[in-house]
Amino acid sequence: MIKRWSDRFFKWFCHPDYYLDIMGDLEETYKDRLEFGEKRTQWKHLFSVLQLLRPSLMRPFFCKPLLISKGMLRNYFKIGVRSLARQRLYSTVNIVGLAIGLAAFLLINEYISFERSYDRHFSESELLYRLTTDQIREGVVGTRDAMSFNPSGPILADELPEITNYTTTFKFSELVFRQNNQVRYEKMVVAADSNYLELFDYPLLQGDPKTALNAPDGLVLTESKAKAYFGNADPIGKEIEILSNFNRPFKVTGVMKDVPENTHYKFEMLMSLTSIEDQLARDKWNGFNYYTYLKFDPNADYELLQSKLKGLLRKHEGSEISLEYNIQPVESIHLYSDFTFEPEIHGSHKAVSFLVIISIFVLVIAWVNYINLSTARAVDRAKEVGLRKVIGAHRKQLVGQFFTESLLINFFGALLAIAIAELTLPFFNNLIDKEITKHLWNDVGFLQAVFIFFLIGTFVSGFYPALVLSGFKPVAALRGKFRHSKKGVVLRKGLVVFQFVVSITLITGTLIVGNQVHFMQSKNHGFDMNHVIGFANPRVPGDQVTSLEEKLRLFHHDITSHYAVRSAGTSSVIPGGASNEIGSMSGGVTLVGIRDRLDATIYIQFINDQFNETMGLDLLGRDFNRDFAQDTLAIIVNEAFLELFGIADHSNVIGEYVQFGTSPENDKFKIIGVASNFNRTTLKNSIEPTCYFYDNWFNSTVPRIINSVVRLEEETYLEGIDFIEQSWQQFFKDAPLDIVFVDERFERLYKEDKRFGNVFGSFSLLAILVAILGLFGLSSFMATQRTKEVGVRRVLGASIGQIISLFYKDFLILIGISVAIGAPAVYFVMNGWLDNYAYRIDFPWWILVLAGLLISVFTLVTVGYQTSKVALLNPAKTLKYE
Amino acid sequence: MKKFQLGEFEEIVLLTVGVLYDEAYGVAIKNEIENRLERKVSVGAMQSALRRMEKKGFLDSRLGEMNKKRGGKPKRYFTITAFGKQALEYSKDVRTDLWNSIPEIAFDLKLV
Repeated sequence: MIKRWSDRFFKWFCHPDYYLDIMGDLEETYKDRLEFGEKRTQWKHLFSVLQLLRPSLMRPFFCKPLLISKGMLRNYFKIGVRSLARQRLYSTVNIVGLAIGLAAFLLINEYISFERSYDRHFSESELLYRLTTDQIREGVVGTRDAMSFNPSGPILADELPEITNYTTTFKFSELVFRQNNQVRYEKMVVAADSNYLELFDYPLLQGDPKTALNAPDGLVLTESKAKAYFGNADPIGKEIEILSNFNRPFKVTGVMKDVPENTHYKFEMLMSLTSIEDQLARDKWNGFNYYTYLKFDPNADYELLQSKLKGLLRKHEGSEISLEYNIQPVESIHLYSDFTFEPEIHGSHKAVSFLVIISIFVLVIAWVNYINLSTARAVDRAKEVGLRKVIGAHRKQLVGQFFTESLLINFFGALLAIAIAELTLPFFNNLIDKEITKHLWNDVGFLQAVFIFFLIGTFVSGFYPALVLSGFKPVAALRGKFRHSKKGVVLRKGLVVFQFVVSITLITGTLIVGNQVHFMQSKNHGFDMNHVIGFANPRVPGDQVTSLEEKLRLFHHDITSHYAVRSAGTSSVIPGGASNEIGSMSGGVTLVGIRDRLDATIYIQFINDQFNETMGLDLLGRDFNRDFAQDTLAIIVNEAFLELFGIADHSNVIGEYVQFGTSPENDKFKIIGVASNFNRTTLKNSIEPTCYFYDNWFNSTVPRIINSVVRLEEETYLEGIDFIEQSWQQFFKDAPLDIVFVDERFERLYKEDKRFGNVFGSFSLLAILVAILGLFGLSSFMATQRTKEVGVRRVLGASIGQIISLFYKDFLILIGISVAIGAPAVYFVMNGWLDNYAYRIDFPWWILVLAGLLISVFTLVTVGYQTSKVALLNPAKTLKYE
Repeated sequence: MKKFQLGEFEEIVLLTVGVLYDEAYGVAIKNEIENRLERKVSVGAMQSALRRMEKKGFLDSRLGEMNKKRGGKPKRYFTITAFGKQALEYSKDVRTDLWNSIPEIAFDLKLV
């Protein structure tokens, strides 16, 4: 078998002059060797054949003398340039179209490769995994959390030999730093153990990565933070005081380069994990608020480990627990992980694939333009081809000539594409809101991509026209009896339909994304968010919380006395935050006497007696009351919480008790009210089942009165803000005041979706522009070709309008077909996209109609313009020779 | 420009063709080199060297008789041409010349 194939292969490539005797030699050697076993000999035979595969023994594969003649090549270029120059409109349409297509394609690909580069810059990044926690409800995976319990790392590393290293980290939401009496809020601080810098090997500019995070109260700053705090002085060994949580000075033990943009776990300062030992001990197996990363042995089997990990948490924590460990590769977190409590708003692989598809479409549309225009022009060139053939041109030579033309057009297109990409880069960076790179023209990778796609483009776009044009029969072509072949027309129409389908799909897609974003922004979130503001209350050490509460109450009393302030309350979270802002409990929850324990994530929010009123929520039952001492053990639940238990009659649960965790000794909280649902975060998520605790619940370790929420009067809200600022100065002189509008916070949540819509829209526009450009060229040629027909019709009394509609009718049919093809595609893709949102619009069919209409109008304008140019010619002139 | 284009491997092949005199065809040449020089010879390298030298005019060839063992394919026998002989002599002369030009002392020093 092997021998037969290798013989055949040898015969195929070997020079016929050498074949006979070498084959004889091979045969002889083969027979000599047979005694060593057939299989082995056959392989040896194949090996010998491969050794013979060298240029000096091969037959000639190309007709070298035909193609590589210098004079002929020069002639190709000369003819090519001349024909481009003669048909200025046609060349411009092609070059501009190709340039836009290529530039858009390459820009998007720069962005995509950036998105895909996340977390790949660490050495052995493919071995890094994040330990996550899944919640299992009745055997089904419920909430998936990016965080894990803090003792997990060391325990797992002990248990599983495949884990070679681990690190436990904690991300602070905010810390207050003080240096030289200047207070700064830092939101990007991460506490990490000394393994962290081994797994994520950021090089330290100063300090030793092995010891920098060992001792308690050590800080590693990024370069820019070091500059902000210490200017040009050497920061090592210097001290910064951290007020909140700590109230003690920290020592700088290292400086590192700024963390790059393309990592999912960004920070500006690292704190030694030993500094929060007491918190670690307290949280232990009670709260999983930690990001744990594991490093695996290169030979470890990911899936096997995953299944091994599943049961381990139950082993450590008792069989009662409904949580399971899981792991995910660090490299795929940015694009694929969609867990709760992600450290940052992550990218989306779906958005990336959408963009890949759009970018390919843009490019292909540009290529299609070239193919369409060159085949449509075939008539113009038929005589030229015929004559060349008569004189003796070989078909291969003609193919070469037409390829040269496509090469020239693609070459100019590529040059222009580099210029366009370079010039539009700032806009593009702006559009995607990330600075990927400053310049493209000197970026080697980019230029390589340009070159590669220039070659591919030349081949793809040049292949078909070259084949068609070189295939004409000289006699027919010279007699002028030349007509388009049926096949050619069908192909061209097919390509036009393809362009229309893509255009319609992109228009619809853009409009649907826009509609969904608009829907989310304008949908009622369950409360009136206009003129509601929020701000952070001053931070104080734990022992002063009570006095702060007192002071805050006075402050709220003071501001609500102003006519522009309607009401003010406190809350642990301001509405409109990211999904990870709110606290949650996953230890199980029981409705005592009504429903058994449910292993679900319940979100918890601490509010005071004014919050519900400020938000304007409907309340069944009663609100918290400061005068009732027992309200420390009372809670208000929201409707989503009851829906989770499947309770329809909300008034029934009032006065009943809620218990958290598994132990029957745990505190029982009395339900005093049911609050109406409102969306605290993006409408991508459904409403969180929430329990509202009264903020003076005594044994809470969670910060409670962190924020104020204030509702202002519509007419005079600006005066209200002025007054709040004045009053703040009187009450809390030193603390910074940072007022945000709740509606603006929501706006920010939809930024990512909006950006996606903008990117989608911009590139769709380009794709459509390129398609219209092609249509412009195509209809121009079709009109010119039918000049005589138009002349005759005019003479016989047709009006210009009639002639235009005659031409237009052809395109209208194509548009109809395109809508029919495009509709299911759009429905399939965009409905899937809409399904990502808990609150989504119905699939808007009218948008398809609108897209079809838009395309029809664009087509009418281009076709009408080109046709009327021909129709307006004097028939006497166009028919002169008939 | 060198007077004769003759590489090291080509020279060995050419000499072996001479050694085998009237029996120099592919398999025989290969075996001869492998036996004498105790080194592996790639069929490809050898065949392309043979054809190259034939083109340069160092070798001449004729097709021999058909043979059943060879699957009915003929052998191609190679013989050295006068030009090939000149090339070999030239190459040998150059070497002898070089040998003779080495001062005795160069070898002596090596021994120390």
